Amino acid sequence: MAAYPGMSMGEAHRRITEYLNRFSDAVSNQDAASLRFLLSLSSNSPFLLSLADALNIFQDSGRLIKHSDHYSQYSDILFNLFRSLQTYRLGNLFDSYQAFEKSANAFIQEFRNWESAWALEALYALAYEIRVLAERADRDLASNGKSPEKLKAAGSFLMKVFGVLAGKGPKRVGALYVTCQLFKVYFKLGTVHLCRSVIRSIETARIFDFEEFPKRDKVTYMYYTGRLEVFNENFPAADNKLSYALTHCNPRREANIRMILKYLIPVKLSIGILPKDWLLEKYNLVEYRDVVQALRRGDLRLLRRALQEHEDRFLRSGVFLVLEKLELQVYQRLVKKIYIIQKQKDPTKAHQVKLEVIVKALKWLEMDMDVDEVECIMSILIYKNLVKGYFAHKSKVVVLSKQDPFPKLNGKPVNS
Amino acid sequence: MEKSHRHHPNHSSSSSSSSTHFRSQKFRSNPTTKDGKFTKNNNPNAREDFVKPRRPSQQAQQHVDDSSNLPVLLGTCPFMCPVAERVQRERLRDLAVFERLDGNPRKTSSDLAVKKFCRTISIRDMPTSDLRPLPVLEDTLDYLLSFLDSSEHPFEVVHDFIFDRTRSIRQDLSMQNIDNEKAIYMYEKMVRFHVMSLHKLRSCTNENISSVHYLNMEQLTKALTTLFNLYDANRSSESINENEGESLSLWFRQVPIPIIKSKEMCFARRILRFFRMGNYKRFLLTTAAEASFLQYCIIEPYIIEVRELALSCINNGGYKLHPYPLTHLSKLLMMKCLWP
Repeated sequence: MAAYPGMSMGEAHRRITEYLNRFSDAVSNQDAASLRFLLSLSSNSPFLLSLADALNIFQDSGRLIKHSDHYSQYSDILFNLFRSLQTYRLGNLFDSYQAFEKSANAFIQEFRNWESAWALEALYALAYEIRVLAERADRDLASNGKSPEKLKAAGSFLMKVFGVLAGKGPKRVGALYVTCQLFKVYFKLGTVHLCRSVIRSIETARIFDFEEFPKRDKVTYMYYTGRLEVFNENFPAADNKLSYALTHCNPRREANIRMILKYLIPVKLSIGILPKDWLLEKYNLVEYRDVVQALRRGDLRLLRRALQEHEDRFLRSGVFLVLEKLELQVYQRLVKKIYIIQKQKDPTKAHQVKLEVIVKALKWLEMDMDVDEVECIMSILIYKNLVKGYFAHKSKVVVLSKQDPFPKLNGKPVNS
Repeated sequence: MEKSHRHHPNHSSSSSSSSTHFRSQKFRSNPTTKDGKFTKNNNPNAREDFVKPRRPSQQAQQHVDDSSNLPVLLGTCPFMCPVAERVQRERLRDLAVFERLDGNPRKTSSDLAVKKFCRTISIRDMPTSDLRPLPVLEDTLDYLLSFLDSSEHPFEVVHDFIFDRTRSIRQDLSMQNIDNEKAIYMYEKMVRFHVMSLHKLRSCTNENISSVHYLNMEQLTKALTTLFNLYDANRSSESINENEGESLSLWFRQVPIPIIKSKEMCFARRILRFFRMGNYKRFLLTTAAEASFLQYCIIEPYIIEVRELALSCINNGGYKLHPYPLTHLSKLLMMKCLWP
């Protein structure tokens, strides 16, 4: 990363001073939007990049900062911010993160003293940058064979910020944004169990009223907490949260909708609700197509094949076990189809299904199961109320109830 | 170190050199739920297991958060038991039956005494002369496990001795932050011991056996957790996850692909699928056909649960006027039929 060629000392001086003025103006005018722009290192805006070059040329920004009262009061913030920018420009992400964290700490001290919540947007930028810079720093560390530790540090810092916002004043509406940044950190680190404490704070503390938070943050929050419910297979809760996220998500944010659906679909499938094909097409979730098809057709072979084909993807996203469990519903559908066919042939005898017939149907699907195993499956289906009826071992037959032999799930997951 | 009086470890099933490293899923100490959830592993207050292992290349660097923000210790004790402790225990007559010289409860030797686990000691108070270095720990572990082959004493007694002394070994390993491949081998051996004990303790009759069993499960879980951390640390330079096992789905996300696709994991996943589905026939059949002895030891409590489920299902859905034939049931549940 070469410094900007041809920038003179004078030009560098000018650029730095311009930034300093913009910063102090933003603060005195309580202009959060401008301040936010000035803090967004990772945005790679031409303004900030050329400032970084200027800093690398001028090298004595400390003196400039102390030059005027307008900005010398923010010297800790600015000095470290400049350090961060400089090192960022030179590709040294580790040092850049360290410096940024120092700057952010100093910023928080100032933020605490500002009575109103005017600077929240700028604080959000800070929280975002901390996480993104930490991720990049860790990537660098890992590629040099060192232990990545900065994202974890970013997590600690964000908890601190959360603490600053968790009070009675107007600043508290910013807490959910910070929470979501924390979620992203914990999910990335795999330390998902740490989400619990911050969730508890949001949901049970009396200072927070969930409805007061900005919509965008509520959607993100429900998305992550919904995903946690999926991991723990709490389907009704997962359905609530992910559906909330879906209905309140900006319809133009297709990438976000896709992410929500990625988790909502397995949940809905588990409670017996199938998505239409156009939904899968529109949001490019074709990995679920065969799964849905298998459920519709009672095609066990197709389900197994679909799970195998996309195994890596499903394992990574954490929905594999959820999808695997759909097998019981596929069996239910298969038996129902047999019943329907029998009903067409002879309605008086349709409710008696020979186990041999099921064995044969499965054989067509290239599934090798003997009569004993089919009996086992049927007994499970009956036990879990997917089938109403009984089975007679001696006559090797299942006798279905005359009324509603295949109860629908009706939005409830299969009985455990 | 003198080896003249020691048993030569006869590597049988307890410390078998079978080709596959034993890898297992984490199991709860109280298997009752059928969903993918696990109870959390409670961190030990006595630090005999790792929480945050450091990579070998990092022995010099120190993390701010790391509980071992202390100098790296290197043990110098050449014996299985530090001399001071040996002498004190001789005086107090605190010698396990395996440590007694010619059965004398007041006499032991450096070949027989093995360092006990001490709950209250912290790193700061442990002099390096009391810490055993890695080679000594390796020999000590092999020596301890060789007792599994003798039938001179009832299993509970053997188990109790090995249980305590291996805990001390883990404590020494942890205090010296040993996290290399050799540590992995040792942990694997210790995990095998606990797994086997799961099975063997079932047939013991003493009245405290359920608490012994519980404590064994506890140590198994701790040792397994550390073992996973060690695998992680030795595998690559990616970030180390303190995975507390909130859910199985979460855990699967982080297991590397080659392991998920390994023969053992595939077996485990298949068994898990049958279990979650309630397919008692396949569960029992596959376990009987494919499980290794160690795998069986771990699956055993679930077999009981599955048999219960099978009975519930058959009783629930079976035609009431034709009772289910006992002989067929015994075949299905793979239980011996005691009636002709």
